Amino acid sequence: MIPLLLAAALSGEVDAASLRQRIESHRGQPVVVTFWATWCAPCVKEFPDLVALATRRRDVAFVSVSIDDKEDVVALERFVAQRKPPFPVYRKADGKDSDFIDGVDPAWSGVVPASLVYGADGKRSAILQGEHTPSEIEKALGEPAR
Amino acid sequence: MRLAIAALVVAALAGSAAAAPIAVGDKLAPFTMKDAAGKDVNLASLAGKKAVVLAFIATQCPVSNAYNERMAAFAKEYEAKGVAFVGINANKQESPAEIVGHAKTHGLSFPILKDDGNKKADEFGAQVTPETYLFDASWTLRYHGRIDDDKSGKAIASQDLRNAVDALLAGKEVPVKEAKAFGCTIKRVAQ
Repeated sequence: MIPLLLAAALSGEVDAASLRQRIESHRGQPVVVTFWATWCAPCVKEFPDLVALATRRRDVAFVSVSIDDKEDVVALERFVAQRKPPFPVYRKADGKDSDFIDGVDPAWSGVVPASLVYGADGKRSAILQGEHTPSEIEKALGEPAR
Repeated sequence: MRLAIAALVVAALAGSAAAAPIAVGDKLAPFTMKDAAGKDVNLASLAGKKAVVLAFIATQCPVSNAYNERMAAFAKEYEAKGVAFVGINANKQESPAEIVGHAKTHGLSFPILKDDGNKKADEFGAQVTPETYLFDASWTLRYHGRIDDDKSGKAIASQDLRNAVDALLAGKEVPVKEAKAFGCTIKRVAQ
């Protein structure tokens, strides 16, 4: 029973194309996509900040994508079940990492954490590679639309 | 006076402009940097080597650490073929003492430079650890990116760095000149 509950913590798997579709589905509002992993200490550290920012900025769609490998999926599910973020958390589908990185955005080096910010028009407006504070992400987002 | 101020402004602007990252085909000016033990290492002293691999690595990054054994073996194997392997640690929170201890623990016998203030990481445009740069004998960048395509080492399908070095040593075109992988952030000093 417990594994089923934990499994429900994740929203599924994405490859670059299906992630793009999910970003597109939010057309009309800004989107922040954050890439992270449970083995990445700075990612884990910034996770509560992202939860707080997502809770405050209801005008923005937050999407979280873990790059954890299949063998780390139990740790990932447990982490997400415990944190209960107000945004969907996907796991990168198995496949070539380089294809995923370039498919998401050629400007992304593959570093985690990384947050990609998209405007309401669906265009990527900023790429924050490495550790960034919530205020830096919010600065990249700009003011909420009135 | 006005001229002097204008010159200062120009100098300040030039200093603040981020340089373009080094790209495949670019030439590197060999530099001197202290290793983790505090000894000056002049890359120009590697003249005569057939190739030089510079690798941004870390002591605390799980991805970089997953490659410790592979990097140590690679450095030893290719040293005999005239290729130098040099590590660079640009992480602000990883001290020289920690780097020395980490290298000893993990059998990293190649030199590891300490990039204070992540100046070289900035110049290179290095973002992750591990991230490698392969230079030929004339210090032209021939390959940039991952060591291979599987950090676990269990199912490597593409030995990108090895393939690039082997091609270089055989006088052939490097087959894949850039390849990305997931990695840890290089923790930089505040701007």
